Amino acid sequence: MANTTSLRHYEVMVILDPSLEERTVAPALDNFLSVVRSEGGSVEKVDVWGRRRLAFEMNKKNEGIYAVMDLQATPSAVAELDRQLKLSEQVMRTKVLRPEQH
Amino acid sequence: MAKPAAIVRKPKKKANPLDKEGITYVDYKDTALLRKFISDRGKIRARRVTGVSREQQGKIAKAIKNAREMGLLPYTSSSR
Repeated sequence: MANTTSLRHYEVMVILDPSLEERTVAPALDNFLSVVRSEGGSVEKVDVWGRRRLAFEMNKKNEGIYAVMDLQATPSAVAELDRQLKLSEQVMRTKVLRPEQH
Repeated sequence: MAKPAAIVRKPKKKANPLDKEGITYVDYKDTALLRKFISDRGKIRARRVTGVSREQQGKIAKAIKNAREMGLLPYTSSSR
């Protein structure tokens, strides 16, 4: 059943560069999420955890700004979102998960 | 030198820590929970230590590995 309208629940976590201003994070993420909306998905929740200490050094940094997003989206929209996030230099790491699958 | 003929070990059944708290989905973001299942060096504790079921142990291990990838838990801890 590979129709383009089937929405799935995804959870996307990103770690952003700590040199960013924390209040610019939410608008920046919203910008990325336009892909999801334009393909018929919806954003259920955007949770910006804020600055958090990393358990180990990543890209020579000891901190990161964490954000978790809950989406209802098509697989292709999420793949594109993840691709664009990874291209951004402000994004240190991403993780896409389907919570129901685990 | 009379040795006891057979030493029968009766390991005490541990209470299952996940069932006790009624956790069905192990979330990789829940570091407070996952920290109970790693040693102070950051290694994943064995099932005989944690006392959870095989399925649960697999889910815990996966969650810990996901959390490590996102810098929430350490791969190794330097404190020896």
